[in-house]
Amino acid sequence: MSGTSRIGTGSRSIVQGIVLVTAGLLFAVPLVASASFGFTLPEQGLSLEPIRDAVADSGFAPQVLQSLTLALLTIVASFALLIPTLVWLHLRARRWLPLAEALSVIPFVVPAVALVNGANLAFRVTTPGFLTSVYSLVPFYVILTLPLVYRALDAGLRAIDLRTLCMASASLGSGPVRTFFSIILPNLRAALLTAALLSFTMVLGEYVLATLLLHSTFPVFLVQIGQDRPRAAAGLSLITIVGTWLVLSALTGRGLSKHRTSLPRSPDLRTAS
Amino acid sequence: MTSGVLVSQASDLLVRGRARAAEAVSQPVSVGSAGRQLLLARLPGRNALGLLPYFAFIGVFLLLPIVANVWTSLHDNSGAWSLKSMVKLGEQQYLSAFLNTMALSAVTAVLGGALGLLVAWALATLQHPRWLRSIMLSYSVVASQLGGIPLAFAFIATIGSQGLITIAVFDATGWDLTEIFAVSSFWGLVVVYLYFQVPLMAILVLPAIMGIRREWGESALSLGAGRWRYLTDILLPILSPAIGGAVLLLFANSFSAYATAYALSGGGANLVPILIGFFISGNVLTDQSFGAALATGMMLVITLAMVLRHLLVRRTTRWLQ
Repeated sequence: MSGTSRIGTGSRSIVQGIVLVTAGLLFAVPLVASASFGFTLPEQGLSLEPIRDAVADSGFAPQVLQSLTLALLTIVASFALLIPTLVWLHLRARRWLPLAEALSVIPFVVPAVALVNGANLAFRVTTPGFLTSVYSLVPFYVILTLPLVYRALDAGLRAIDLRTLCMASASLGSGPVRTFFSIILPNLRAALLTAALLSFTMVLGEYVLATLLLHSTFPVFLVQIGQDRPRAAAGLSLITIVGTWLVLSALTGRGLSKHRTSLPRSPDLRTAS
Repeated sequence: MTSGVLVSQASDLLVRGRARAAEAVSQPVSVGSAGRQLLLARLPGRNALGLLPYFAFIGVFLLLPIVANVWTSLHDNSGAWSLKSMVKLGEQQYLSAFLNTMALSAVTAVLGGALGLLVAWALATLQHPRWLRSIMLSYSVVASQLGGIPLAFAFIATIGSQGLITIAVFDATGWDLTEIFAVSSFWGLVVVYLYFQVPLMAILVLPAIMGIRREWGESALSLGAGRWRYLTDILLPILSPAIGGAVLLLFANSFSAYATAYALSGGGANLVPILIGFFISGNVLTDQSFGAALATGMMLVITLAMVLRHLLVRRTTRWLQ
């Protein structure tokens, strides 16, 4: 019995290997294609010309910078909103946890286009100056990344014994502010990093809100140059994909080495498309 | 069960009491303010005050836009209550956009679900080259997050009119792939969407598949069940809520996708998100009420899918913790 099952798993491993290798090759095709399309020119062969051309474009630097700024501001804003709220929820208002969590997943059922449309309707008339500022994207990006950041931070807080830490800290004479900054935050390091990296990649790739609220960010730039310089767009896309991959695989690599079965909950929360 | 809850409540109370005592010790306060604190502590809503910023933020930037959307879709453009815009969703042209979006979402959810399940099974049971597993796992996490503009351009470079595969096929056979299989067509979009749907499915169902116990198979076999019977009578019933829930999530995921479709088709695709985009950017007659009705319709479809998913996922947790 055990003999047959060992043979069974052995032979099945070959099938699984074939499945995974095939999937990997298929996944690699668009990346290889955009590399060969983006980094070559018809007569010259290998060339960085298309990319150099795009980078020299007057729109490139400001729009990349704009996206980076928005990503950083989003991380800061959602941390400032969510960390104190979650600590408070866990320490003082556990009864409200279910409601707060239920609210945090609403962005799931609101597509980005619907959110923009609603934002237009709600703010265009009442506060006309608000949506014209590029920084008006930040609160909406906080909303888009909310399910993700909320869950990451919540999981981080559940993993530590918050109450005991607070009591121990208080009994040693530390006030609530010092406890927050020198006890709670350092213990949340891993969760903070996860949340920050995920919302960073998400904001960098966000197109819908930016374009429909008429702001210029990196994805908007990509679409603009894609219209007349497809090679440059393909090259920049490849760089973006590989960059995202590096950031996220740093994340999963770390998560996998710690506890293999717990996958990041992020994938069900994508809004980039 | 009940006693367990009671015990945990009791210890909870105990801990809270101690925390309060510790606070009182750490902060030397006058008797008067201590008394006031105690009084405040008895007020039921006091602890909810700390949640005010969070609730206010969600109220202004999430609930207000939703309410504005629904409100506008239920009023005509002069401001009177009216169902005209919602009824207009049923008109041929808009109904076909909804049906097309749903068909695209359903096809990519079912195909992506089946292929993703296969990948997840391979990931969960692959024995020997561990590096293959970890590479593909990290690949799946990343690919499921991809999408949007970069993915669209990667596919234009692959199967667009100047794409690598298109040209290779043309050179080899003299046949233009884009004639029957344009990247902006329905099946072109399906292929592109599968690029993130398959890995997303794999990652969503992987925990459920890893939760399968070896003992279940052994006990089924020892009771005389064949492998097929074990699959249909044990595994599928246990896994089906997880699979169904994940497929519904894939459906919602591609139903709300905008950027990929927009970049591939230049706004030419007959999809609801693209239509709403036109309404927002004012490329069509400015009918606010109807634009809002389209958005409300989208939210309704997705909410329905997510409610179904919630019900299914609740069933999953019974077996797979």
